[in-house]
Amino acid sequence: MATTTATLTLSSADITGHSFNMTQSAILTKAASSTGLDEFTGITSRKYTSAQSDTVIVDKDDYVDTTVAHKVYIRNTSTGNSDYILVELEGTNIFLGRLYPGDWMFIPYAGTKNILVTTLALNVGIEYGVFSQSTAS
Amino acid sequence: MATTTATITLSSADITGDALNLTKSTILNKANTATGLDQFTGITTVVYAAAQTAKNIVDAGDYANTTTSHKVYIKNSSPGTSDFVTVEIGGSNIIMGHLYPGDWCFFPYEGTLDVDIDTSAVGMKVEYGVFSQSVAS
Repeated sequence: MATTTATLTLSSADITGHSFNMTQSAILTKAASSTGLDEFTGITSRKYTSAQSDTVIVDKDDYVDTTVAHKVYIRNTSTGNSDYILVELEGTNIFLGRLYPGDWMFIPYAGTKNILVTTLALNVGIEYGVFSQSTAS
Repeated sequence: MATTTATITLSSADITGDALNLTKSTILNKANTATGLDQFTGITTVVYAAAQTAKNIVDAGDYANTTTSHKVYIKNSSPGTSDFVTVEIGGSNIIMGHLYPGDWCFFPYEGTLDVDIDTSAVGMKVEYGVFSQSVAS
């Protein structure tokens, strides 16, 4: 099985009273297993020529659910500082938050809700990908 | 204002036919600005003696909302492979996904819905923190 590593580094010299520098690495494995995730969508890159409203970028029907350890990566590739991407889980206003230009996110995904995005501006750029397991553990 | 950087690296030699090696960094700014986020909870580390259900770790009441660019970090720091953290959003506890031991997540936070967790076993160790802006943009 594949070995995929996700590493996060958070650093700041001045967000708090001491210099903050933290690195965390995780090998992406199937739920309750030491076997690596075996599926990957690749990184999709798009530029939305029109504003988007609740556009599905991760469809739950494409994934097994419940006992899973899928992961989703999303990034706003736009420039400037104002053209945000609002990320939501399927439902009524289940807002996660806004990705401003350059911002990225990496979350676990249960495969039970679609993931949707909304944009207000034209030509907002996005990239996203899903690491998943082909069968539930 | 503070300068805080978040960097993700996703790498795999064998998850797909083309080796994956993606690194993206972003400076955590307030919504619509080039000014850095000005608040940080620090990284909280908790060992839960009992399994938790809908344990609130990020309270929407503590944060400005809507036009914000808050960020949330959560990690399952438990050993082994099976004890998972379920990350949930809002009063209906919509499930985002599951963090297995070593897994982490980092996502934008709108400040409108609580973030809760469930833990699947006794003695689980979880760490989390929030980078936020003191007032909405």
